[in-house]
Amino acid sequence: MTGSPEAGSVSDARLASVLDTAVDAILVINERGEILVFNKACEKLFGYTPEEAIGQNVRMIMPTGYADRHEGYIDNFLRTGHRKIIGIGREVHAIHRDGTEFPVELSVGEAFTPDGRQFIGIIRDLRPRKEQERRVNELQADLVHIARVSAMDEMGAALAHELNQPLTAIMLYLQAATRTLARAQENQVVPGDSFRQVLDKAVHEAERAGNIISRMRHFVEKRDPHRRAVDLNAVVDEAVELTLLGQRLPPRIERDYGENLPSAVVDPVQIQQIVVNLLRNAFEAVRDRPGPTVTIRTARVRDMLTVTVSDNGPGLNPGVVPTLFKAFSTSKRTGMGLGLSISRTIAQNHAGDLTVEPGGNGRGASFTLHLPVTSAVSQDDDEDKVGDVAAGKAGA
Amino acid sequence: MGILGASVTVHILEDDPGVSDSLQTYMKGLGHEAVVYRDAESFFGREPPAASDTIIVDLFLPGIGGAKVIGWLMGLKNPPRVIAISGQAQSVIDRQLSGVAGNFDILRKPLSPHTIAQMV
Ligand SMILES: Nc1ncnc2c1ncn2[C@@H]1O[C@H](COP(=O)(O)OP(=O)(O)OP(=O)(O)O)[C@@H](O)[C@H]1O
Ligand SMILES: [Mg+2]
Repeated sequence: MTGSPEAGSVSDARLASVLDTAVDAILVINERGEILVFNKACEKLFGYTPEEAIGQNVRMIMPTGYADRHEGYIDNFLRTGHRKIIGIGREVHAIHRDGTEFPVELSVGEAFTPDGRQFIGIIRDLRPRKEQERRVNELQADLVHIARVSAMDEMGAALAHELNQPLTAIMLYLQAATRTLARAQENQVVPGDSFRQVLDKAVHEAERAGNIISRMRHFVEKRDPHRRAVDLNAVVDEAVELTLLGQRLPPRIERDYGENLPSAVVDPVQIQQIVVNLLRNAFEAVRDRPGPTVTIRTARVRDMLTVTVSDNGPGLNPGVVPTLFKAFSTSKRTGMGLGLSISRTIAQNHAGDLTVEPGGNGRGASFTLHLPVTSAVSQDDDEDKVGDVAAGKAGA
Repeated sequence: MGILGASVTVHILEDDPGVSDSLQTYMKGLGHEAVVYRDAESFFGREPPAASDTIIVDLFLPGIGGAKVIGWLMGLKNPPRVIAISGQAQSVIDRQLSGVAGNFDILRKPLSPHTIAQMV
């Protein structure tokens, strides 16, 4: 609203009826922060009647920390004309009569009236939108998790085999040890050293089985997405080991890890999920090819960290390229066609991306994951906290 | 002398070091001779096994597969005792062994030490 002296000439009754039909909460305050107008929607949103609210200081609907600063804030504006909120919609917190604090979108206009300068606030409850965002995030996290479990499921048969090896070894070692013990009890001479060695080997094989299990469990367990600073090379390498677990005859793996990379702020399990997907695709692409080789490279390119997985398979079929990152796009009999679509979603959630060089004509496909050097913080963090507004981060 | 019978020479074709070493340890504990081969190629590099020998062969070997080895052994004039071992799904085993005829046993991993001792 732009200020004009005529603003005051609008009939008060007409104005009041207009304000009361508005869906949004609208209130007007003066330079001292006293509430002059408090419409019906305000009453619903904050739990005060207009009679209770009018004449009170607007701090009654602000959380304590913010209310304390608000006066300084108006003062500052009046003194310097420095805008922190006027003319700009902001996300702030408000407080209901019953003490519930909740997020609102606040837009403020100023009006010059014969009674002095006034501020008009339009307030929209953000809880329904927040709730929807939360649901969408939750569903996406579920989907990402399901895709991870499904990847493990496909690897399951191979993993069962992988566990069979140490279990077989443990049983044989222990059986051998039992025989030796039986002979010792019959007072036959037995080599003590080898007896101990056999038990040590059994323990070693049990550890091997345990490591396989914990690798798998770490990957499939459902837990809230959690971002932290990690060594990208270590995260990538763990994904390589995980993918190799299920592979009896793996292709040649070349690891070309960049040195002294800055740490990445990521959810490590989700990043591993991307790398596992890319590796599984690459492994499948090079199966039955001469000299099957998959190369994994990490690097820093300007302000991005990259992880590139390339193979010497046939490259991408030109037909699949346009829909490559769409869900359920697959050329495989048993594929879900989810691997790449989920991987790109995860990458973009990390403020990064997943790109492809399709290859062909004798060159294999090459996929690159891009992640910002300091990955964007989680979505809630750009929601203004009271402190941010007070600190003047709101911008003018 | 083995506990369960005469001492025999057991040839173990298995690429997993844990499995082959434990098999060898166990077989020796039973009083047998036990030789380990990491792949079919090194087994073929030796003189053919005697009819009194036992071959334990993993089906999923790198390079020449276990099924090929079994096929070759079954073609000998006096085939030795052959025990195929595998940790794969039954469908995979069936596929690998289709077309391999002859008298041999199949044991699935994890192996039962008692069963394999009786077979040798
Ligand atoms: N490295 C590659 N070389 C050749 N083609 C590839 C490669 N990676 C992916 N593709 C093609 O892209 C398609 C989609 O891959 P995506 O990972 O999304 O699904 P999928 O592997 O078919 O199934 P899922 O990953 O859900 O098991 C594949 O079906 C395949 O045709
Ligand atoms: Mg895939």
